[in-house]
Amino acid sequence: MIRWLVRASATVGLAKAQLRRSPGRTALAVGAVTLAVLSVTLFASLGVGVVSVGQDRVEDAERDVWITSDGAEAGVENGIVGAHAISADVSEREDVTRAAPIGLHTTYVGSDRDALEPITAVGVYETHGGFDFESGSGFEGSDEIASPSADPGATDIVLDPAVADDIGVSVGDTIYVSVDANGESARAFTVVGTADLYSQYLGSPTVTMRLAELQALAGSRGSDRATFVTVDVTDGADRAALRDELAATYPQYDVRTSDDQFVAMVKDRALVVTSGVALVGLAVVGGIVLTANLFVLVAYQQRRELAALRAIGLSRTVLSGLVGMQGLVIGAAGGGLALVLTGPIAGRLNELVAQVVGFESLLQTTPAVYGLGAVVAVTIGAVAAFVGGWSASRYATVEQLDGYA
Amino acid sequence: MTHEYTAGGRLRSTGREPVRALADVSLSISSGEVVGIRGPSGSGKSTVLHAIAGLLVPTDGSVELFGADLTDCAGRKRLRLRRQHVGIVFQHFHLLPSLSARANVALPLVQLGQSKATRRERATALLERVGLGDRLTHRPGELSGGERQRVAIARSLSTDPDVIVADEPTGELDTATSESVLDVLTSVADERAVVLASHDPTTLTRTDRTITLCDGSIVKETDQDEPRRARPAVGGAGGEDL
Repeated sequence: MIRWLVRASATVGLAKAQLRRSPGRTALAVGAVTLAVLSVTLFASLGVGVVSVGQDRVEDAERDVWITSDGAEAGVENGIVGAHAISADVSEREDVTRAAPIGLHTTYVGSDRDALEPITAVGVYETHGGFDFESGSGFEGSDEIASPSADPGATDIVLDPAVADDIGVSVGDTIYVSVDANGESARAFTVVGTADLYSQYLGSPTVTMRLAELQALAGSRGSDRATFVTVDVTDGADRAALRDELAATYPQYDVRTSDDQFVAMVKDRALVVTSGVALVGLAVVGGIVLTANLFVLVAYQQRRELAALRAIGLSRTVLSGLVGMQGLVIGAAGGGLALVLTGPIAGRLNELVAQVVGFESLLQTTPAVYGLGAVVAVTIGAVAAFVGGWSASRYATVEQLDGYA
Repeated sequence: MTHEYTAGGRLRSTGREPVRALADVSLSISSGEVVGIRGPSGSGKSTVLHAIAGLLVPTDGSVELFGADLTDCAGRKRLRLRRQHVGIVFQHFHLLPSLSARANVALPLVQLGQSKATRRERATALLERVGLGDRLTHRPGELSGGERQRVAIARSLSTDPDVIVADEPTGELDTATSESVLDVLTSVADERAVVLASHDPTTLTRTDRTITLCDGSIVKETDQDEPRRARPAVGGAGGEDL
């Protein structure tokens, strides 16, 4: 046992000496492992963040059940017909406190009707406390949900603060909103507040107006179209049972609980999720292949030395350990460095994301993320060690010595 | 012994005729003897040395080392016998560039599981013995060719072997440095056998017996007229009292 420990200790010392001998090569190998592990930890923290933020957004919307039409999750269709009437009917139920329609439509917005920018408009029944206004307040009063007035003379609009900054307006100013790019259908709206509630939910800048006014702009007022009808349930109500009953009542629509709705949103973004997973997989496989290849080369470079060491009596185990230990050290160093860098880089990326799209803490570096990074680092180190050790053993033969035969 | 191999690799058949590296070579070497092996390139000098060291197993015949037949041993046992009885010196030294002279000399002792302190003590004594007491912490890159070869000799002595095989030990050295290295090599032969292969006639004058190989066969065996101990060292660089 003591002999084994002495050999192991000496092997570690030898590996360290060999690594110090080629600092450039060592630094490159550590860098490769660091990048591979970083890609895993950052993508994983993004994944955790997306799930967490997505769930928060659905929960923040404080809607327990969602009625949508197929494809509405992407926010580009207004497939529900008679949305206000459906909302009024659903609101009559004892287990429902409130139901309200929401519509989404691409519009063109600007302070000058001749220079309009494309922005998603959200049509809502009313503004509520969840808006958390940065300035100003919401719409004045509320119509009867079943018969909205959509008075063109009293058009209120809430802007994402970033949109307000971009077009240079503030509360009390007038802006123009059109559903066509050239502004022919533009109508004037008065800015009554700034809030980013729906921008955070959709992940892009928005303006918010009464649904009836959005329908009037879009020409869907007659059919009373909306993208969602959101439903709040009373305390203790069975959301799943309500979902099933509403689904039976409105078989032409999809009815989901907020949890179902979140899963549906993720499914709609399957391409993005798959791409992310594929990128992480490629980073891990690339890191492993790169490091393994490097260690085959390391062993090949040292083949004469390894053969000589074998000749002077060192066992294959020690020689494999000599190169394999280098792989482990590089895996540990690269992995450790990546784990140390994950927090600061995620923080910086979060600042960037918050500035660009308004999401805060999108990358969340949970202990599970660090655990995953450590597992990947250990895997890469182990693969490098195994490949290096195997190569060293393969090259430690008399054929590599000078003057053989 | 006889040894044949197929050129072109071990992992697949090349379809080529096997090359006969050694043909019916028979020799016996005693402790305290310095034996030289000479011959042109490809004559089988290195193959004889490798067979003595157990680095290769002849395809026919036997190699006996202190009563054990190396051709009848598993690889692990052959390695243990080599570690116990044989020290090897290479033409190109094959020292680890990342290690100091002392660490290089101590390397074979790692396998024996000796403690770091013991390894250091032994390596220091051996380096002092070959005249490199002031070069303990120098790396091979900081040493001259002759010094590197003396480090390699010290390394070959670290396990106190009964036989030292040296393949062209002066092949990369100038005349004066060669003499110094040969002084070291022959001085340790009092306690063990030394077998050295060389092209160099001057080197071979320092042996007790010279075997000439040609095409894998012994063609001549010559004893020196004068005992090795009685012969003065040639050149001025060597001559340390070892």
